[in-house]
Amino acid sequence: MATIVCEALTKRYGAVTALDALDLTIAHGEFMVLLGPSGCGKTTTLNLIAGLEEASEGRLLFDGRDVTWLPPHRREVAMVFQSYALYPNKTVFENIAFPLRLRRTPRAGIERAVRAAAEQLEIAHLLDRRPHQLSGGQRQRVALGRAIVRNPAAFLMDEPLSNLDAALRLSMRSLIKRLHHQLRATFVYVTHDQAEAMTLADRIAVMRGGLIQQLDTPEGIYERPANLFVAGFLGSPPINLIEGRIEDGAFRRAELRLPAPRAEPGREVVLGLRPEDVEAPAPHLVPLAGRVELVSPLGSDTYAEVSGPAGTSLTLRVPKGWRVREGEGIEVGVDPARLHLFDRATERRIA
Amino acid sequence: MLRLGYDERAAALLVFPVVAVLLVVAAFPILYSFWISLHDVVLTRPLRRPFVGLDNYLRVFADERFWIAVARTTVYTVVTVAATTVLAVLVALLLNEAFPGQRLLNALLLLPWATPSVVNGLMWKWIYDPSYGLLNGLLVQLGVLERYRAWLGDPDLTLLLIANAAVWKQMPLAALLLIVTMKAIPEDLYRAAKVDGAGTFRRFLHVTLPALRPGLMLVLVYETMISIRHFDLFLIMTQGGPGDASFTLSWFIYVETFRSLRFGTGAALSYILAMATFLLSYLFIRFLGRRL
Repeated sequence: MATIVCEALTKRYGAVTALDALDLTIAHGEFMVLLGPSGCGKTTTLNLIAGLEEASEGRLLFDGRDVTWLPPHRREVAMVFQSYALYPNKTVFENIAFPLRLRRTPRAGIERAVRAAAEQLEIAHLLDRRPHQLSGGQRQRVALGRAIVRNPAAFLMDEPLSNLDAALRLSMRSLIKRLHHQLRATFVYVTHDQAEAMTLADRIAVMRGGLIQQLDTPEGIYERPANLFVAGFLGSPPINLIEGRIEDGAFRRAELRLPAPRAEPGREVVLGLRPEDVEAPAPHLVPLAGRVELVSPLGSDTYAEVSGPAGTSLTLRVPKGWRVREGEGIEVGVDPARLHLFDRATERRIA
Repeated sequence: MLRLGYDERAAALLVFPVVAVLLVVAAFPILYSFWISLHDVVLTRPLRRPFVGLDNYLRVFADERFWIAVARTTVYTVVTVAATTVLAVLVALLLNEAFPGQRLLNALLLLPWATPSVVNGLMWKWIYDPSYGLLNGLLVQLGVLERYRAWLGDPDLTLLLIANAAVWKQMPLAALLLIVTMKAIPEDLYRAAKVDGAGTFRRFLHVTLPALRPGLMLVLVYETMISIRHFDLFLIMTQGGPGDASFTLSWFIYVETFRSLRFGTGAALSYILAMATFLLSYLFIRFLGRRL
């Protein structure tokens, strides 16, 4: 188990900077998710921690020990890949045993460790099979087994669930979370899937362009996105963003007016309203009216695309129990405290 | 009467020319040579060709030269196939890495393969030449040799030197086949093996080699078939000599058929060689292929 510290970690490929002076401390036993679109530097970060790529600049510390230039096998980390990366010619048993064999673990120890890992992952009955005889979910369990047997300092996971179908992804997600609870090891988990990030993480680092945009708990990132990018990246359906100005302690855009008492007047801003932050109208709420253009029922919730005031187009969650029809008017209530304001120029959150 | 639809009739019509040509140039010679192998056909007595059953085959098996030819062919084939395969693996490993000039090397690799067999034979004959050969010149100037040697005149070396010329020409295709197989190995396997703690050699042993198996089998079968029947280099470089040092089966067939004009035994020999090739390929596929 280890505390992982990245100090000004930088990776360049020729003229391209994939990772720009990353500072990140991952606590012992923490589940850290690196979240972002492709090319944001999250996988590069993971590869640097694993030692599969060399840093251009900066330092990497495991429990205070400088490992920046150590080869992968001397870092005591285990890695799980999106493609599973199982050795196709080896049986499940041999796949899981492989890292132990390379460490010259005694035969009895290997047998015990492999069996224990297989039991834990419920693949004990598959030990004689070869990878091509397994389903995707079973393969990923074998890959997890190969990681577990080593009792590594940290688990590194590179989009481990992205090749699985939706139903399996959910069950594997809980399996990984349970593993983390049982093993109490440091997990670094790369994904572009916000639902995975929200459900698994102790903390999420949202990345873009080789930089961390925000580092916070899942709730923190959802409730207080640090900038427009983070606000737009998390949330499904995505947050509604409306450009406007602060005048007289309110957000203004043509006839649309929403209270924003703490923002300084005259500022050009972007207002963020999450679809799920609307309710039935009530005295303490600000009314918001529009016409329903499209209704999307999801079973648990219904979302409506609404042409709102001042030429805006909004996606709103229809309050429970309401029946809405396309072409009809709708009026909901908005809690001003749940509105997000961002500076239009810097894209940063306005406190 | 077989009833054919329009599509079938059109297909039959379109396929007919190919089938006809194949019948004339492939099926007929194969069957006709088998017929010859069962008759005592000697070209110096063209009108007398009595049926002798398997006598030609028995005569061949009783012939001391046949067993010499089998031994020479075996040595040549084993050396050529082994050297081609090992070299091809090494070259493929090298060219599978990214380094400056790698594309150029890739293109150069194909030159020997593109060289016609006869040109290749002549080239190596010159290189081995006893009076003005490159090999002699090089070794003497380097001080390795005192004086020029007749390389191909050394019965202990002849087969190996011819094998060397064959490997030079055959290795590129084998390497290319293996490079293609290597390119299909997922990069993640190497990354996983690195994290698991495997060094360069272990990664080759546990990731590259198992994945290369289909390619290796293709190379083994193909190179064996090519080598066991090889003829061009023997004709150009040594004509079976010195003595019987390079007296291989294919050369025996040529001598028996076109120099002694005994077509009957020549055809029998050809059938034996063809069956041996067939059997070997079958065994390779049967025993190596099963473990894929």
